[in-house]
Amino acid sequence: MGFQFEHVLCNVCGVDDCHPVAVGEDFEYGTSDQEFMAVQCRRCDTVYLNPRPDSDGIRLAYPENYHAFQFDESEFGLVYRVRQRLEARRLLRWCRGLPDGAAILDIGCGDGFHVELLRKFGKPTWEVDGVDSDSRAVSGARKRGIDIHQGSIEELNLKQESYDLILMIMTIEHVCDPLAMLKAVSGLLKPGGRLVIVTDNTGSPDFRIFGNRHWGGYHFPRHLYLFNRRNLSQLCDRAGLKTVSVKSALSPVNWTYSFRNWIQDWKGPSWLKNRLSLSSPLALAIFTAIDLPLSMVGIGAILHGVFVKEKSK
Amino acid sequence: MINAIESRPVAILGGGIAGLTAALHLKNHRVPFVLFESSDAVAGLMKSERDDEGYTYDCGVHFLTNRLAAAIGMSKDCQPMARYGETVHLRGRCYSYPLGLLTSPKYLTSALFAKSKSLISSSGATARQYYSSQYGSRLAEEIAIPLTEAWSGADGDEIASAVGQKFSTGLARMMMLRTAAKMTKRVIGIGYASTIVESTNSWHVYPRGGISTVCQRMADLVRGSIKLNSKVEQIRVSNDRVESIVVNGESLPVAGVISTAPVHVLPRMIRGTNALDGLEKFEYRAMIFVNLKLDGPSGLTDVVTWVPERSYPFFRLSDIGMGLPWLVPKGKSQITCDIGCKVGDEHWTMSDDGLTELCLNALEKMIPGIRQRSCGSRVVRVPLAYPIFKVAYEAKRKAWEECSGVNGLLSVGRNGEFAHLLMEDVFWRTRWKVSRFLQNMGL
Repeated sequence: MGFQFEHVLCNVCGVDDCHPVAVGEDFEYGTSDQEFMAVQCRRCDTVYLNPRPDSDGIRLAYPENYHAFQFDESEFGLVYRVRQRLEARRLLRWCRGLPDGAAILDIGCGDGFHVELLRKFGKPTWEVDGVDSDSRAVSGARKRGIDIHQGSIEELNLKQESYDLILMIMTIEHVCDPLAMLKAVSGLLKPGGRLVIVTDNTGSPDFRIFGNRHWGGYHFPRHLYLFNRRNLSQLCDRAGLKTVSVKSALSPVNWTYSFRNWIQDWKGPSWLKNRLSLSSPLALAIFTAIDLPLSMVGIGAILHGVFVKEKSK
Repeated sequence: MINAIESRPVAILGGGIAGLTAALHLKNHRVPFVLFESSDAVAGLMKSERDDEGYTYDCGVHFLTNRLAAAIGMSKDCQPMARYGETVHLRGRCYSYPLGLLTSPKYLTSALFAKSKSLISSSGATARQYYSSQYGSRLAEEIAIPLTEAWSGADGDEIASAVGQKFSTGLARMMMLRTAAKMTKRVIGIGYASTIVESTNSWHVYPRGGISTVCQRMADLVRGSIKLNSKVEQIRVSNDRVESIVVNGESLPVAGVISTAPVHVLPRMIRGTNALDGLEKFEYRAMIFVNLKLDGPSGLTDVVTWVPERSYPFFRLSDIGMGLPWLVPKGKSQITCDIGCKVGDEHWTMSDDGLTELCLNALEKMIPGIRQRSCGSRVVRVPLAYPIFKVAYEAKRKAWEECSGVNGLLSVGRNGEFAHLLMEDVFWRTRWKVSRFLQNMGL
């Protein structure tokens, strides 16, 4: 597949003053034999794909079997059940203090995994919506019996100031213009409403070790902007959202992919590569054990950010 | 701010890789600009021609990495280099560079002695002092200094030590990168980027259509803002700031000038300031590239062969087909002989046939029977090929590298910085310098 490339600016600083950090390829899905470059802003350290495929090209980088379109128990078995429990607990923690009848929106909800969890484990009076721009995600959600909106929140004409909580779980890194999206999110939140962002952490040791090619967080070419604690706060601040907290959290996913990509790229044994996958409980357990102490000292593989739209004075 | 200067674009002088990199950077930042190229095509030194037989001729050896290819979005148009290695031909014997040289006890002891001495003494100001302190007097006198002198056309005592300082890769790092190259079966770029750190994940690639396709791709993105056959004759400074340029006899107000023009011509172009006085003394080395077409394999042992002995007319030989087989027809090979010269000297004025004979005669000593396999040649002459780092103007050169000394004038690229920069260095340094330039100018 050949892409048309576009050059972009750092979404946080609005300039392109960067140095190269990595060149890589689509190790996970092999949608293209093209190489892609990740650069790091010299002013704020935001990592971004530059040049990147234009918006038509990016769509082609999501194959039919993309995991977020269909993450189900039949394929992922034990991993699915464990993740379901952990994620439900995490979601309910973010929902603490929400009133009866609260409106919740999950942006970039994929096949509605989190929407389903909230409907199942949350208060029955909560109204939980999901949005995804890809029709295959909408079909995946339907299979779960969930209707979600298809499109971008900028286009969907959702009611302004109507949501108590908005979730962006592993979403912001896929967005072409995160600042524009966060401004739209700010418009959708009620005053005092909260935004939760979960994304890969460029301040983590796995980024330091694998960051010049094989880091799983690059997900070439699908992750367009990647953040650390500081620049994620800066970005939200530019969108008018105040930082409540940005903490690192445990995740074995990037470790698993990083090792897998490295072995694949250096032509290592395929039996080992095949054992490093998201459906392998052993691999996930090993990398959970590695990331656990790191997350305890604040350098875990992913970030959890909580931001609030301040009430007007 | 940009509205205020819409009628005053930034002028970019020169359509080589530095000028085009600057143009793309300005385009991304929506700063209006015009790129003026005095000839009828972009590419500068990165020109390539393909003949009817299928040989491609570039102006000397260029190094492109997968990293640079990705940065300009053309990794799909490039292919990994099949092989890369360097040897040194000395007294009829070939030593692999650098480790093969160290198998010779005289070079090894001399290098070890120098290395231990360099821990307590400085490396000196001249190329001779620098190489002697780094490699030992044997390696310096027999190899490094003769090669630098042939390359620069000046005596080792006249050349500044900066000429050698870009080759800074340590032995341990080199061994690590070479091991990674063996494991990955990739030609990892070692010692060919100083601005950007080498990495096990950065390897040599080359465009299938020759090096000029890099500039063509970049030019396609800014085509509407390029003016060919447009010679910038003057840069006018007023109130200590660049105000306008004169192009083909016409004056054009500009917000600033980004120049890739050879440094020594700038003092003749600038009006209204003496800040560039002294640059006219900077010298460039001319090069002749004699491309020999041969039947069968070339007979060289590696892609690049360094030839330090003065009895040979050339100082470097490159077997193009060994590294880049798609640039040479099947069953053939091509050796490029690099001859350093001065414009107007006996080599520069020699006929193409004369130069071919000269090279074949010399090569016959290294590769007996090569003459019988010769099937023609193509000679490329480049008047301003490499900056000469002379001690006489080294202080001025260092200051120039930092800043032009004129508000609104930025000089970039190998010609513009007067530095021996490789392509990837040119690309990134130009981007960073242009970023700082825009910031300083409030654009």
